[in-house]
Amino acid sequence: MPYIGFHNKEVSFKIVYYGPGMSGKTTNLVHIHKNLRPDRKGEMVMLDTDEERTLFFDFFPLELGQVEGFSVRFNMYTVPGQSYYEASRKLVLDSADGVVFVADSRAERLQENLDAYKQLLEQLESLGMDPHSFPVVLQYNKRDCGNLIPVGTLESKFNLNGIPVFESVAQTGKGVMETVRKVTQMVVTKFEI
Amino acid sequence: MATVGHLNGRAIIAPDSPSYGRILEDLIKNSQALTALLITKQGTVLAKAGETDYLNATAVAALVAGMFTATREVARLVGENQFSILLQQGELRHIHISLVAGDAMMVVIFEDNNRIGLIRHCAKKAAERLGEVALPAAPEFDTISLPKFKEYALNLIDRLFEPQPE
Repeated sequence: MPYIGFHNKEVSFKIVYYGPGMSGKTTNLVHIHKNLRPDRKGEMVMLDTDEERTLFFDFFPLELGQVEGFSVRFNMYTVPGQSYYEASRKLVLDSADGVVFVADSRAERLQENLDAYKQLLEQLESLGMDPHSFPVVLQYNKRDCGNLIPVGTLESKFNLNGIPVFESVAQTGKGVMETVRKVTQMVVTKFEI
Repeated sequence: MATVGHLNGRAIIAPDSPSYGRILEDLIKNSQALTALLITKQGTVLAKAGETDYLNATAVAALVAGMFTATREVARLVGENQFSILLQQGELRHIHISLVAGDAMMVVIFEDNNRIGLIRHCAKKAAERLGEVALPAAPEFDTISLPKFKEYALNLIDRLFEPQPE
């Protein structure tokens, strides 16, 4: 849920990039961070293993600017993708305002995508959030690979009517900014005091 | 703690941070610690005191919140509700982290390890004072006009994330 500091004049939201291992969550964040003006971002913190897998989370604060006298910030997080980090994923997801689900489009990763999305729905519910009204954007990443999962696969499997969907190649940045723009728009639109 | 309340379950309001700042400044003065931060469990800085220029407080807040939440899960696994104090000992600098009335965390960074007893005592006193800070009678909820706020924020988002040419 958003944080409002009336004395320090700050509103901050939490965006979480969720998905199976190696689907490109960190690559999304790195691309966004690289392409923002220096005054729009804080330092990026990456907690990863020797094999460059995210161990707990990656994080950076994204400064939107001044709105109605308040500094507006999006705190951008990723979760660790490997299935044995389930507990860590739930901790990071706690109090999120919006989620980007980064799916790995390669056909051989279909089951991991399905398992991860199912877990996202379960974790949102266990954190007291309604998965059907919660802002989620679906990103099919790695669209430059061969043998792709067709867009629509996860939507039909989980009845995700109307969910915003983007195709991306996070390594080159294709689709990355469009995805973050959509999720931040959804979070702001849903903001209530 | 009267500080980090949920309003209709939709937002976290930090209504009285000037009081927190004064309490943290007293803590720094009495304990001779280097820095004190008060952060929410979600990882947002509520107040800070002492030397802060050397520190990326935003990143520290996110990391400490994650660490504290993870430690709470570890506590649960060993049959405790939570560990209320975490102490990180370095070569030159040390960090004392304590839970404040279940709602926030207080981070005290100090250099002289011989003062750990004093730090713990002062942190405990500060936590008690923080817990007693009262909610203002009429929080300034009207200061945000939501329709305007959303319109301007959405405009900024459009400008910030312009699609890149392929």
